[in-house]
Amino acid sequence: MKTKKNFNLGSLISANSVPILFVIICAVMIPLSGLPANYLLNEVVTRLGRNTFLILSLLIPIMAGMGLNFGMTLGAMAGEMALIMVADWQIWGIPGLVLATILSIPLSILLGLLCGSILNRAKGREMITSYFIAFFMNGVYQLIVLYMMGSIIPIMHSTLKLPRGYGIRNTVSLLQMRQSLDNALAVSINGVKIPFLTLIIIALACLFIVWFRRTKLGQDMRAVGQDMNVARDAGIDVDRTRLISIVMSTVFASFGMIIYLQNMGNFPTYQAHTNIGMFCIAALLVGGASVDKASIRNVFLGVILFHTMFIVAPAAGGKITGDSMIGEYFRVFMSYGVITVALVMYEAKKRKENRTMGQQLANEQKAEEEGKTA
Amino acid sequence: MGNTTTLGNKTKLKELLDSFGLPRLIIAGFLLLLLIAAPIVGLDFATQITNIITRFSWNAVMVLAMVPMVHAGCGLNFGLPLGIVSGLLGATLSIELGFTGFTSFLVAILIATPFALLLGGGYGWLLNKIKGGEMMIATYVGFSSVSLMCMMWLLLPYKHPTMVWGFSAKGLRTVISLEGFYDKALANFLTIDLKKFGVNLVIPTGTLLFFALLAFLMWAFLHTKTGTAMTAVGSNPAFARAAGINVDKMRFISVIMSTWLGAVGILVYEQGFGFVQLYTAPFWMAMPAVAAILIGGASVNKASIGNVIIGTILYQGIVTMTPTVMNSAFQMDMSEVIRIVVSNGMILYALTRKTERGR
Amino acid sequence: MKTKTRSWIIRSAFVLVLVLLAVLMLRIGRGHTIYFDNRALEYQGATTAAPYKITVIVNGEQISKLYEKERCSVTNIGDKLELTVEVMQQKGGSETTSVYSLKVPHDLDGVIINLPGYMAGLPEEAYLEEFIPAPSTEKDDEAPPTTDDIGLGEV
Repeated sequence: MKTKKNFNLGSLISANSVPILFVIICAVMIPLSGLPANYLLNEVVTRLGRNTFLILSLLIPIMAGMGLNFGMTLGAMAGEMALIMVADWQIWGIPGLVLATILSIPLSILLGLLCGSILNRAKGREMITSYFIAFFMNGVYQLIVLYMMGSIIPIMHSTLKLPRGYGIRNTVSLLQMRQSLDNALAVSINGVKIPFLTLIIIALACLFIVWFRRTKLGQDMRAVGQDMNVARDAGIDVDRTRLISIVMSTVFASFGMIIYLQNMGNFPTYQAHTNIGMFCIAALLVGGASVDKASIRNVFLGVILFHTMFIVAPAAGGKITGDSMIGEYFRVFMSYGVITVALVMYEAKKRKENRTMGQQLANEQKAEEEGKTA
Repeated sequence: MGNTTTLGNKTKLKELLDSFGLPRLIIAGFLLLLLIAAPIVGLDFATQITNIITRFSWNAVMVLAMVPMVHAGCGLNFGLPLGIVSGLLGATLSIELGFTGFTSFLVAILIATPFALLLGGGYGWLLNKIKGGEMMIATYVGFSSVSLMCMMWLLLPYKHPTMVWGFSAKGLRTVISLEGFYDKALANFLTIDLKKFGVNLVIPTGTLLFFALLAFLMWAFLHTKTGTAMTAVGSNPAFARAAGINVDKMRFISVIMSTWLGAVGILVYEQGFGFVQLYTAPFWMAMPAVAAILIGGASVNKASIGNVIIGTILYQGIVTMTPTVMNSAFQMDMSEVIRIVVSNGMILYALTRKTERGR
Repeated sequence: MKTKTRSWIIRSAFVLVLVLLAVLMLRIGRGHTIYFDNRALEYQGATTAAPYKITVIVNGEQISKLYEKERCSVTNIGDKLELTVEVMQQKGGSETTSVYSLKVPHDLDGVIINLPGYMAGLPEEAYLEEFIPAPSTEKDDEAPPTTDDIGLGEV
């Protein structure tokens, strides 16, 4: 009886080692940073509203067995381009956001189709391929935003353009749309602003994902995620299902990026999307997700833990060494480190599973043979 | 009879085309275009050639570092930053210990070696545990180590005045000048300088000879028993195992070799470039090397010295010529976009090709 | 066959709804910057005098008190706004309050409304003028930075 209890605790800790590690890190760094609790709470709530939708977009590809979708950056780019257009057309406030959302849909569907079809040609290497698709698309994005916008694509306001006359400038101000979603139903409790409308939208997205898991398409995706060959034998169009999962993820990501940017208020045109994928993936992993299994619980836990660490690290680093840069490097290191650890654990587990499966097969064969001779 | 031979010739051409790859043809064609355009838009042709050869000399060793791991089936070494970090440790420690001139270069290699062995060893052990997912993990191991070193560069007790921040005398600077140290240590050795003949051609023979030495050693190694065993592991692990080769050991050795070459590679780059770049600079240094070797004809599990040479020339050619030609011709600099599209497109192309043995 | 056409109809309807929604957003979300001037207006030979003080209230929120020759501005989403003015004709005189529903042309970013002219009921071409901002001479960084950042920044 005693060994059973120990075993459960041990396996519980190892299964949730990453979140527990982050809880410890936060527990150490929060008092060290000297930041007031109110400020911290407000920051975490803000980031919850800002980033959660983006992280939710990662769930569907994981369900379909495509691993961590670094290609969500493509959705982010679609959202950015839509916002640039809407800012140029001077549509403000929530109508502007709705318009941007609608505009981004065809764009993100297109990009998602592109990404998904490339990924279908790289089965078994989805993650690193999506990683490089994001980089590649950044080049295409620059081609469009830095060269075509203002010249081939008409931009009316010169305040958006670079001094040379074409191309969008380095920072696009979203002043008139800033926080329009967040402020719409905001409630301020004790200095902590809670953006209710944003949270409601996030809740709707979660409900959608839960509902989607139960639909035929969702079940198909989970089957494909489990085992592509078995799914194919069961009559599921594996390529099409995988493609749809990426398209959905990209569309979600573009919505999420619009929510993210309306909270920021302005965005660095060429930098905003470069690391968004990495940080969202890191946050998801911190919440206890793995490359092949992620739930909504992981999303929320991850956002809270990851962003708490993100906020307190520079301050804590500053207190310890007198240089807050240490803290900034530390939080970047933790982000990359947690992804590395998750990837290693996933691959190691995969190999162990294959080995035990192979072992099992060998044992069965041996037993069969012995049964025959006996 | 006559008909069959002509038919045979046609398919042979098509075969050549297919194996060479359409993207490579496009890239080679593009470079040719740039070279032809250069004198037309008023650029000095010889200077362009000098630039390409110079940048080739800086980067070739790092591209060479890709070869061992590809041979051993560990994929493209996106974890090159580990080797680079070892090299940087060698460089900074060499300066810290007071060495100058050409000696500092040799000492840097000397000090970098144990670091490379250590880091490469750990990295190789890790890769053996996760066969199949090497490339993704390599990328993130590389990133994690660079960001870890970012913290280290600030914390380690370096004291040399040329390296630390002037104000606080604590923590290394982002960029450290190598003047007085091993700046152009190799490049100035046996340089062929045609400037006095009126041609703007300067060939850094020393660096090229150094690369040739390393390339020759690599080629020789690949033809030894261990080398062929390594190649066998990469091209057909089942056969290798059946032949009694220790697959894990071969992979391990390849990773250490790759890491060490990465360390030497960054030192060669620094002596050409003239500066030691710390902090976030090594972050992105694996991609150009990977793209270069892919452009040169390598695939995820096949790479030769020829690939290294051709690839580096093509890649560095495009990277150097595009901005200069475009600026002279159109007053428009699209080089950044082209660089991103070419290098990442090349990597994507390699990743989406069907491998010879299915994974 | 039937289900296929049905799903196509549903998809087309969905797309149509989105398109209509987008057009609606374009109409109601147009942002304008509206400048209010309190100055005398000359139009077709007749001069409309500027009152001593106008208190400008837009959509219930007080914007400014305009003495003669002063200007205030407000940003508004949509082409219509509710303008309340409390007019004091002479110094120390009585204040009269009027409420108007001001309509701004959809295509213009910024407009200048001459309040005396507007309140006098003059046609739009009299009291409304397009606001053209002076070209800003700020030197924005020329070339976009090479994106070599590793994540040092806010998320």
